[in-house]
Amino acid sequence: MTSAATGEPLVELSGVNKWFGDLHVLQDVDLTIARGEVVVVIGPSGSGKSTLCRTINRLESIDQGRITIDGTPLPEEGKALAALRSDVGMVFQSFNLFAHKTILENVTLGPVKVRGKGKAEAEKRARELLDRVGVGHQADKVPAQLSGGQQQRVAIARALAMDPKVMLFDEPTSALDPEMINEVLEVMTSLARDGMTMVVVTHEMGFARRAANRVVFMDAGRIVESSDPETFFTAPTSDRAKDFLSKILNH
Amino acid sequence: MQFFIDNFDILRDAFLQTLLLTVLSGVLALVLGVVLATMRVSPIPPLRGLATFYVETFRNTPLTVVFFFVIFGLPQIDTVVSFFTGAVIAVGMYTAAFVAEAVRSGINSVSPGQAEAARALGLGFGQSLREVVLPQAFRTVVPPLGSVFIAMAKNTSIAAGFSVSELSSTLPRLVNANAGDLLVVLLAVVIGYMIITVPMAYAVNRLERRVAILR
Amino acid sequence: MRLTKYAAAAAAFGVVLAGCSSEAGNQAAQESDNAPEVAQDVEFEAGTTMAELAEAGTITIGTKYDQPGFGLLNPSGVPEGFDVEIGKIIAAQLGIEEDQIEFVETVSANRESFIQNGQVDLVIATYTINDARKQLVDFAGPYYEAGQDIMVAAGNPEGIEGPDDLAGKNVCSVEGSTPAQNIRDNYPEATLTLFDVYSKCADALTNGQVDAVTTDNVILTGLVAGNPDGFELVGNPFTQEPYGIGLTLGDTEFRDFVNDVLEESFEDGSWAAAWDATAGQITGEPAPEPPSVDRY
Repeated sequence: MTSAATGEPLVELSGVNKWFGDLHVLQDVDLTIARGEVVVVIGPSGSGKSTLCRTINRLESIDQGRITIDGTPLPEEGKALAALRSDVGMVFQSFNLFAHKTILENVTLGPVKVRGKGKAEAEKRARELLDRVGVGHQADKVPAQLSGGQQQRVAIARALAMDPKVMLFDEPTSALDPEMINEVLEVMTSLARDGMTMVVVTHEMGFARRAANRVVFMDAGRIVESSDPETFFTAPTSDRAKDFLSKILNH
Repeated sequence: MQFFIDNFDILRDAFLQTLLLTVLSGVLALVLGVVLATMRVSPIPPLRGLATFYVETFRNTPLTVVFFFVIFGLPQIDTVVSFFTGAVIAVGMYTAAFVAEAVRSGINSVSPGQAEAARALGLGFGQSLREVVLPQAFRTVVPPLGSVFIAMAKNTSIAAGFSVSELSSTLPRLVNANAGDLLVVLLAVVIGYMIITVPMAYAVNRLERRVAILR
Repeated sequence: MRLTKYAAAAAAFGVVLAGCSSEAGNQAAQESDNAPEVAQDVEFEAGTTMAELAEAGTITIGTKYDQPGFGLLNPSGVPEGFDVEIGKIIAAQLGIEEDQIEFVETVSANRESFIQNGQVDLVIATYTINDARKQLVDFAGPYYEAGQDIMVAAGNPEGIEGPDDLAGKNVCSVEGSTPAQNIRDNYPEATLTLFDVYSKCADALTNGQVDAVTTDNVILTGLVAGNPDGFELVGNPFTQEPYGIGLTLGDTEFRDFVNDVLEESFEDGSWAAAWDATAGQITGEPAPEPPSVDRY
């Protein structure tokens, strides 16, 4: 089904707390993600799952606790934080492709400016990645000329171009028209199959069953349940998970 | 016509002074203004505070007072600059506040997701601004910046009151010497300013259309 | 830091204003008992400017609003000074009451056009008579003879005794003024610094940004009076600046009338009284001998 995780921890969150004003959005979160593991985070909206995902590359700061990536604690600011982020790929709900750059430039920007790669080398690699996600022939267009599904696949290629240790997906299909969801999920599934470490926040239960090593269920800022997909979908232990599953599976 | 021939040297020198003053203050205002705008959106609170203080101070102070401060105030704390340099500093520092505001509103018009994506790739704050945010901000900033710089070209006339022999300073001098030709003197000075401002307005229009196609 | 500097600048500005107003206030107090007697039942030949003005009962006079001792706006918005008093003397002989005189501000650059366009009936505004101006307007007078002089920092550190000592020195005046043109034409080795008002020249002299200030001695006297510890007058006038009264070119009858009034005021003491109440307050010296009118 999926490649087996090696068991060695890559991302570790321990005792993480975060407040938005009075709202306690993350409560005592502990989570360890092993190298090669694919973790799908699900939960009702407002449960804190997106916030959790964004704390892993510090797009959101945390108020308490500790996050390490490959043994290194997340730096607070500056060059060290930028260097760490370059090893963590991120795919956003709204794609966020650079609107003023071509598709190819979107993918080469990071390698050239952050990794210091030569332009020719970066472009060669970018074209390979764009071919891999199926948009190689669009390389010279600008983002606005592409469909949502195509843009999201470019965004995945852009993240992959940095050779990240881990990829974060923050609801990558939520902004897409239904007919475009599958083309993005297929790319993600193949990534998972190739052994990429992934944290995926999504409502796509099919993807979770098919590609995840583990499903993490969140509610009201807490991790309520964490188990393999088979167990989670067939025999959830908590009432809140049962309630959530009954609502979405009856759809 | 005879008037123009007789006073060509005076008018030419004054025009060149205005042109030089406009170019030098413009460069100072642009560089300082972009730095200030960058400071205002930076993640470091003291830099933000400093830039806000600067912008609010200069935006709410009449240019004549800024001139007074630079020309007559600085020497009191033992900082003497030439009158021309003082004029460049006064006009440049004053205009920088307006440039900063125009650029900042341009930066704010760029969706925050663009900067997030840049940072997520590992670009630093400066790189994110330079590579991703400012080029997009530039498009919305061209028309307001154009107005700022055209206003600046005309604001250089304040320097006439502070011993810079630019275009406006020829008004009292030439009118006094050619009292019958008041309207001709005015016409000459107006033409001098228009030689500078009309091409500026034209360039802004061209640039606006060019960046609009890129969208 | 910056705020303190601005506060200091603002405070300094306030002091300057306060200084001006107290000086002007003194003048006002002196003037009230000095009003010339208004002629009653005046008769002029029909069709003359005098007849028109007397009939209308009002006259418009252009003067300066920024020249201490000659024409300076007081805090209540009324101009005061020697030029203003001369205007009152002339108006009185036309049978026009003091409160029927309309004063308007004229600056060096607009005096001719104000006369040519009929915006004023007379210009009495430290207005030097010269040949170029005679082509455009007629002059009555002179009623005072000033001369270009030099003001230096107290103690005269540069040892400037006259215009020839200005070579290589930084000398300040006002753009468009006759003294500035004189330096340009006759003392080209002096470096000119030109502002729009003389008060800035005084600031620059205080800061050491210029070595000297040059213009008519009566104006410099006003500046020295404002800062007697900081400035001093060289006291060696090197030009003659006869101040005249500007009126419409070719209106010879009106010009003769004004000249008659001036000569009368020289003789009956009203000219000297006007001086003592205004410019004399600043120079601290008694009225000089009046000049002789030039009926060119």
